[in-house]
Amino acid sequence: MSPARVNWREVFARFGLVMALLALIVALSLLSDRFLTPSNVVNVLRQISINAIIACGMTVVIIGRGIDLSVGSLLALTGVVGAGLAVGGLPAGLAVLAAMALGTALGTFNGLFVAYAGIAPFIVTLAGLTIFRGAALAYTDGRPITGLPSLFMTLGYGTFLGLPVPIWIMLAFLLVTHVILRFTALGRAIYAIGGNEEAARLSGIPVRRVQAFTFAYSGLAAALAAMVLTGRLNSAQPSAGVMFELDAIAAVVVGGTSLFGGRGGVFGTLVGALIIGVINNGMNLLNVPSFYQQIVKGGVILGALLIERLVATRRT
Amino acid sequence: MTLLRMSGVDKRFGQVAALEGVDFDLEAGEVHALVGENGAGKSTLMKILAGVQPPDAGGMTLADRPVRFASVTEAQAHGVVMVYQELALVPTLSVAENLFLGKLPPLVGYGALYQRARDLLAQVELDLDPAGEVGRLGIGEKQLVEIARALAREGRILVLDEPTAALSASESGRLFDIIAKVKASGVAMVYISHRLEEVFRVADRVTVLRDGRHVGTRQVADTTADEIVQLMVGKSVRRYQRAPRTTGTALGRFAAAGPGLAPVTIALEAGEVVGLAGVIGSGRERILPTLFGLEGTASWAGRPVRSPRDAIRQGIVLVPSDRKTQGLVLELTVQENVSLATLPQLQRFGFMQAGREREQTRQWIRLLSLRPPEPHKPVRELSGGNQQKVVVAKALATEPKVLLLDEPTRGVDVGARAELYDVIDGLSARGLGLLLSSSDTEELTGLSDRILVFRGGRVIAELHPPFAYEEVVAHVTGARQLA
Repeated sequence: MSPARVNWREVFARFGLVMALLALIVALSLLSDRFLTPSNVVNVLRQISINAIIACGMTVVIIGRGIDLSVGSLLALTGVVGAGLAVGGLPAGLAVLAAMALGTALGTFNGLFVAYAGIAPFIVTLAGLTIFRGAALAYTDGRPITGLPSLFMTLGYGTFLGLPVPIWIMLAFLLVTHVILRFTALGRAIYAIGGNEEAARLSGIPVRRVQAFTFAYSGLAAALAAMVLTGRLNSAQPSAGVMFELDAIAAVVVGGTSLFGGRGGVFGTLVGALIIGVINNGMNLLNVPSFYQQIVKGGVILGALLIERLVATRRT
Repeated sequence: MTLLRMSGVDKRFGQVAALEGVDFDLEAGEVHALVGENGAGKSTLMKILAGVQPPDAGGMTLADRPVRFASVTEAQAHGVVMVYQELALVPTLSVAENLFLGKLPPLVGYGALYQRARDLLAQVELDLDPAGEVGRLGIGEKQLVEIARALAREGRILVLDEPTAALSASESGRLFDIIAKVKASGVAMVYISHRLEEVFRVADRVTVLRDGRHVGTRQVADTTADEIVQLMVGKSVRRYQRAPRTTGTALGRFAAAGPGLAPVTIALEAGEVVGLAGVIGSGRERILPTLFGLEGTASWAGRPVRSPRDAIRQGIVLVPSDRKTQGLVLELTVQENVSLATLPQLQRFGFMQAGREREQTRQWIRLLSLRPPEPHKPVRELSGGNQQKVVVAKALATEPKVLLLDEPTRGVDVGARAELYDVIDGLSARGLGLLLSSSDTEELTGLSDRILVFRGGRVIAELHPPFAYEEVVAHVTGARQLA
């Protein structure tokens, strides 16, 4: 065997996602001359920012072998509560912080049920999905909250160094999540629990506390996304975020994080969100009817998982 | 009439000969016990019989016709059925559905199915509701359902692999009654057991294997427990003998009790290695998980041990018996696994200290001569012996006062085993207290300063060096009580 020989399987396993994204970009820029323009690139990044923020929290939960179905409803509830407090006279900055604290608390609520009551994450967060949605509707009596202070406009439409604020928020949250996962003892514990909960417990890791944290973090992520979305809409909708949990899970798994826990990372999730975002954007540019867009999106998710599966089985 | 004859069976795993020229035969309606120490080749021989593995050489005849089983299905088609000690039942299905699993008709008529199940259960005088869920049965009843299932598959030869390991005394008694019934119906059984009193109770003949060779077959009526122990042990060559060490410095006292384990206390001296002997089900396999805070109740030096986390804080650490499910996170690298139990020491303000982590890993890789000495390799890719070294490194990184070793060399090759023994002796020299729970008598006699023998959930003997190997085996198998 010559030393220069390339192990394509290894290369593909490691960079396959990025290669798929690049291939998509090349294909779309050939199909439409409006695709690879600076304004459209910024557009795509801004469009994916809300999903990517939620998906960061979802990545943390899934690496710990959990799942969080409540994020869409949690986004709606924290959005209306934050907006309601601001409209009610609380300084806008404090209202935003209060909404994020509420998101963290609701995530913790999910986490305590999972970690200490031993109920499956799927069930706990499914219950959360309906409870938080109901609470959002009850709080607003089903009506959107408008007349928000200017801080929300800044979150949704402001720019900083030429880039929209939502993109900065997304990048900052990605970075923070990456640092937690890769450089802290807590992050290591999350990977260990997702990989082998029993071994983690026998190593003295406080398994339940760490599990609860992952859900709290996901709640925080959803609340942060809620603030950006409220700014984008310049109003808080109790019906916002329906099915957002599925988009977030799709970004995570397309991004190569294993649903069985213990493997993956937040940059993969960014690439996953980008792949989904680029496809959406490209299909809009090509005037693909929205019904067909959904079919294509589902197909891409299946295809990505199939490829990952093939690479994984070849390796073992 | 000879029903089954296996002759000249050879089986090698890599460099290791698991079986060499083994002969074994079975009469119709006979219970033939197969005994020998761990690694003697009992399981390998039975796997060949049941079609799990092919032999490298040797032949097999069934009712004087040569046969060769390429699969378990083929063996079952010839009436050879293995009854595993790890129960192979579906807990959420009914007794009847389990009995006929894989042989259910496309459209299940429950009336007829339950009737067939009742007939079958009556055959073994098992009074169970065919519609009852298997998951609700006790372990003993499950074992009996397994036997009934083997009969449902028209087994002419049943292989019972340590069937009483998880059973209580009364459940075992029931099992023996049923074995007698099954035998009376003309079915032949191979009975693998470590407990000689069972062999003398249920078997007609007994065959002893040692180091992959057939060393003798006796009529049970014409032999004694002492003779069987003698055959099992042979003139064993001591491969490892640690010099016993006592410092006289008390380290502390363990107290433990729990399910399957009567209250027991073990005082430990600095540098002492206390061996724990006993078959599965004797309570021996429970003691270390209990002391580590995983089950039952335990205390160390007067303080309760409530959880593994609590144990580690008190300077007690466990090397668990199953490294793949309990010891390692296979997805992670060597370094990440070594660090797992010392995350609090390796972080500052929550952040991992990369330099300290690297240094700690490098140190343990060197001290335990891990091969390859590569900290960033996924542990999945290491050999069994080196994986075990990673588990030991993770434990030792916590700088414990007491090390609990549960079957530390299971599935570990000879070379790595000797290295682990040296590590154990080195830890003793540094003043650690060690509890060594093992089913390997040679390991116990080679390493221990004293040996506690467990039977029926309690300590029945305390042995001191020089250890007579046969005496340990006699205590563990219960031959001492038979004499």
